[in-house]
Amino acid sequence: MAVSSTVALLLLILVVVFAVTGVLALRHRLAFRIAMRNVRRGRVRTALLIGGLLVATTIVSGSLVVGDTVQQLSYHYTYLGAGYDDEAIRALSPSGGFLYFSYSAYTEVTTALSGYGHVTGIAPEIVDSASAYDQHTGIPETALNLIGVNGNQSTALGSFVADNGTQISGPAPGKVLIDDQTASALNATAGDPLVLYGQTKLPLVVQAVVQENVRGAFITGGLSPGNVFVSLSTAQILENQPGKINYIAITNTGSQADGAASSSSVSAYLNSTLAPTLASYGLTVETPLETSLTQATQSSQSTLTIFLVLGLFSIVAGAMLIVGIFVMLAEERKGEMGMLRAIGMRRRELVYTYFFEGVAYAAGSALAGTALGVGIGYFLCYLAGSVLQSEGIPQSVFLQSFTVTPESLVIAYVVGFLLTLVTVVVACRRASRLNIVRAIRDVPEPAPPVRTYTFLAYLGAVMLLVGALVYATTYRGTTDISYPLISGALIILGAGLVAARFLKNRIVFTTVGVALAVWAGWVPLHGFLLGTNHSGGIFVVFVEGIMMVGGTLMVLLFNANEFAALLRAMLGPKGQSSPVVRVALDYPTRQPTRTAVSLTIFALVVFTMVATAGFGATLQGNLNNLVANESGGYSFFGVSQVPLPNLWGQIESNSTLAKEFVNAVPMATGLVDVSVSGYAANPYQDSVYAAPATSPGATDFYTTNQFAFASTLNGTSASATYQELATTPGTAIVDNYYAPQTTSITGGSSGPHPTLSVGATITVAPLLSEKPVRVTVIGILKETAFSGVWLNPSTAASIGFTNLTAYFLTVAPGVSTTHAAQDAKRAFFAAGLVLFDIQSLIAISINTTDGFIGLLEIFVGLGLAVGIAAMGILALRAVVERRRQIGMLRAMGFTQSMVLRTYFLEYTVLTLVGVAVGVVLGVLIVYNLTVSPSATTEGITTFVAPWATILEIAVIAYLLVLVAIAGPSLRAARLPPAEAVRTTE
Amino acid sequence: MPESVVVGRDVWKVYGSGDTAVPALRGINVDILRGEILAVMGPSGCGKTTFLNCFSGLDDISRGQVLVEGTDIHAMPDAKKSDYRARRTGFVFQSYNLLPILSAEENVEMPLLIAGRSAQEARSDARAILTEMGLGDRLAHRPSELSGGQQQRVSLARALVAHPAIVWADEPTGNLDAEGSRQVTELLRQLNRNFHQTMVVVTHDAEVAAACDRTLHMRDGLFLA
Repeated sequence: MAVSSTVALLLLILVVVFAVTGVLALRHRLAFRIAMRNVRRGRVRTALLIGGLLVATTIVSGSLVVGDTVQQLSYHYTYLGAGYDDEAIRALSPSGGFLYFSYSAYTEVTTALSGYGHVTGIAPEIVDSASAYDQHTGIPETALNLIGVNGNQSTALGSFVADNGTQISGPAPGKVLIDDQTASALNATAGDPLVLYGQTKLPLVVQAVVQENVRGAFITGGLSPGNVFVSLSTAQILENQPGKINYIAITNTGSQADGAASSSSVSAYLNSTLAPTLASYGLTVETPLETSLTQATQSSQSTLTIFLVLGLFSIVAGAMLIVGIFVMLAEERKGEMGMLRAIGMRRRELVYTYFFEGVAYAAGSALAGTALGVGIGYFLCYLAGSVLQSEGIPQSVFLQSFTVTPESLVIAYVVGFLLTLVTVVVACRRASRLNIVRAIRDVPEPAPPVRTYTFLAYLGAVMLLVGALVYATTYRGTTDISYPLISGALIILGAGLVAARFLKNRIVFTTVGVALAVWAGWVPLHGFLLGTNHSGGIFVVFVEGIMMVGGTLMVLLFNANEFAALLRAMLGPKGQSSPVVRVALDYPTRQPTRTAVSLTIFALVVFTMVATAGFGATLQGNLNNLVANESGGYSFFGVSQVPLPNLWGQIESNSTLAKEFVNAVPMATGLVDVSVSGYAANPYQDSVYAAPATSPGATDFYTTNQFAFASTLNGTSASATYQELATTPGTAIVDNYYAPQTTSITGGSSGPHPTLSVGATITVAPLLSEKPVRVTVIGILKETAFSGVWLNPSTAASIGFTNLTAYFLTVAPGVSTTHAAQDAKRAFFAAGLVLFDIQSLIAISINTTDGFIGLLEIFVGLGLAVGIAAMGILALRAVVERRRQIGMLRAMGFTQSMVLRTYFLEYTVLTLVGVAVGVVLGVLIVYNLTVSPSATTEGITTFVAPWATILEIAVIAYLLVLVAIAGPSLRAARLPPAEAVRTTE
Repeated sequence: MPESVVVGRDVWKVYGSGDTAVPALRGINVDILRGEILAVMGPSGCGKTTFLNCFSGLDDISRGQVLVEGTDIHAMPDAKKSDYRARRTGFVFQSYNLLPILSAEENVEMPLLIAGRSAQEARSDARAILTEMGLGDRLAHRPSELSGGQQQRVSLARALVAHPAIVWADEPTGNLDAEGSRQVTELLRQLNRNFHQTMVVVTHDAEVAAACDRTLHMRDGLFLA
């Protein structure tokens, strides 16, 4: 469902709820009046209630704002990178660049489109790569984007703007425009003599350094590598392509957004109108801006999903808090409600009273929560901005992209409002079913009658059936593992409800709790019962987390007395005889609903925080494994414009390089269409790699690489598999994105990807080729950094991959990779050799992930506010509720300090039990993911529990609870006993 | 002549201040003798409960002196006053004020534990007194599982279990029916006989007052002569 239709639906629901409320208010005026009086009863209390109720909305609102901002940031770079290039006519070459074609194609396109009103500009271009050497500064730079374009033909693409603000229509003959990135890399300024290296070399002069606006940041979006712009004729000379171009940029009418919106219809028109031209030149029409915007939207949706799913724990905790608040509110008003019933108010009217009050609180808290969420969203974006600086994205750009869309505000408000309202109504419905006499006399409600258990047994039977049905259809297969997990939980709960009709609650629900916790937390059981082919993402963590926490708390709560006795025993004789200990432990154990609410809130919040911190620590702790897996043991991946088949020989003959490098593996590489049986979107475009089978020892890929396998055909060893790849035509190995996706600690691949098992036969065809080759996959690698298919060298050669323009290189131990890269770049500058420090790039990527996890830790830490608020509100209510009991204790000799200690001990026990459950289960879920097959595949073999961080979380949580309950506890201690013993609420 | 356990001299209790000041006790002078059951009667709002609160140490006084066993209880700091209440007083209230989370025997154990007795001792004494009061089969019941009369008996047991110097009872039969009221009154009398316990009973009930050794009538914050 599109965002706009979701918003419309939510608004409709909101209007309906308000309209129904209005009608009901008119029909039940007394109930409405009582509800409004209740809302206005005490400002502090109302503020407290709204404070407690707004948490869920805040989480939703904050997540949506982060999603909006990430989307806006992606759009920022997308708009910069695509500029006004709405459609591109071009042909991808198997090597990954663009194929050259005759300039006459451009003439044909302009002729065909003359008079077509939706297009405002058509520009012929050359888009290639080049190296540059600044003769003034003496600095070389490789792998720059070379863009050849004529100013007069590309006005629709916008103007270049020099750093001094001057507008420039295009590069002059003999001159070169360089963007800020290139200027920075070369330390170049206007007027510097610059030699450009393509297929030939040309001495030029820097005309100006241009800003990275929609023109200057074309393709790169303002990120590295830099751009050099020359006139079309200069580019043709440089690339030795006289009379040819390789790119036609088409600009639609209107703004960039308008252009992207009309891109589908324009490209359809182009495809039909230009069909003969496209066919004769082998060209295709692409929609770079629209495609990039779609990808940006998907990427921001992924971010939003992560925040929302992790936020779900806090949302559940927030809902529990709402239940807690309203159960207490109902308790507080029991006598009042009893009187209202006694003087003739119908039960239904009581429900309406709560409904109206709930609507008022929900409306107010959703508004406050939405606003607070925006503030929290900004805070998170500020932090995210600092995290992403290592990726080259300035924090200022991130903050400039801070966006709050009206849609997000509407969604946050309505979702928060409905969530609060539903929880309030459900919580209060039960309260309204009170017995009049018991309510007036404040007598506790008796145990539920048998008919309640009978009803629950029927409900349980339905749950059991539904669970069994879903389980039977999903337990073996490739669906998301959440389905069989949830259906398993339904079976357990359903069976429990049926059993509770006949057996004691304690026995039944202890068993159910243990079963739930084991079902969610014991991974080998999943493998045994569900197989290993299920997929799963971050939502599984939520499902397992809720089940584990719920099950464990069920066990604790149904054995609360035993647990309290154990605690007393652990405290020794003092625990048995201390009245403070007795009162402090007896309240939580004998008020199970309230204790359940507090514990659930705290356990969930701490669980999420510990699990998030655990993921981060485990990723960081496995950095070496991850780097080894992804780098194959090599230091650099390199590409050159000119093939360097004997790179190792050239290195050996260079006295400097010979000391710095221990091997250099040349490879052929390019783009291919891969077809995998069962994949819906065949063919899948991917990279191909092939290393010569007969290179000299030090440069032999098959003996020097350390890329590990996730699986091999018939379980053969890695070395045997590599030998088979080297020597057996028709064999291939693939990267780990091709492996069946299972629950993944790092989330797995981001987009749809074909999957296969070893032994599968796939079809590989170079782009634009009609001669595919069928190969058998004999191994699936653990790495994903070099995504694609590794072909047997003779098979690769048979489909045209013979140019050795890609390389793996390893530096000697103790040699600086920075120095080695600079020396190699200098030595092979003419060939345009570019080296990427694999380990450094992976480390940066992991550090960014780590930073992102830190951000998530802070986000989920917001849930701690729920826990603190819960404890504070519960403590405050406890003072009011227990006034008379406090008075009696004081009359019996309790000192103020004993009252204070009682409160502190009670909340200490509650907090620490919640923290302990959260910590144990949070650590367990990280451990489970660490030992899962997919984690092992990704190089995560070592489980790391961040004990220092966990201790910090526990201590901070505990201290904050102490702060939250300090006020109420002092109030309780200072209650004058004479007043307290007589007080009735 | 028995000695005075409680001596009050010119005891004032004023709620509020300035124009809104309401004197609840207006210079009361009273002596409560050891071993007697004293009934305090009077119309609603005459200051009976204020008298009980101020003389038992639950509430502060505005002026005057209250000596309990020779000690000025209002000169004590809060902690010492708490300790005094734990060791030397017992309370019975109209609404029982039992701790709803604790069983009958746990409620009765509580004053002993507060006074520093061991868990075993407290349990044994609580069981003994509850059994004596006919609640031997209700030891593990929580207040909500007991009748009003039973709850008040537990409350009495709690007040007496630590053998306090004086038991203060505020409308102990106010929530009970006639039979329950009669049982509690008899019990008070019996306990007074058995333990020579000094008791002060604030009551509206003439039958309860009639069962006491002495009755003081109160009006507008003063005892009538």
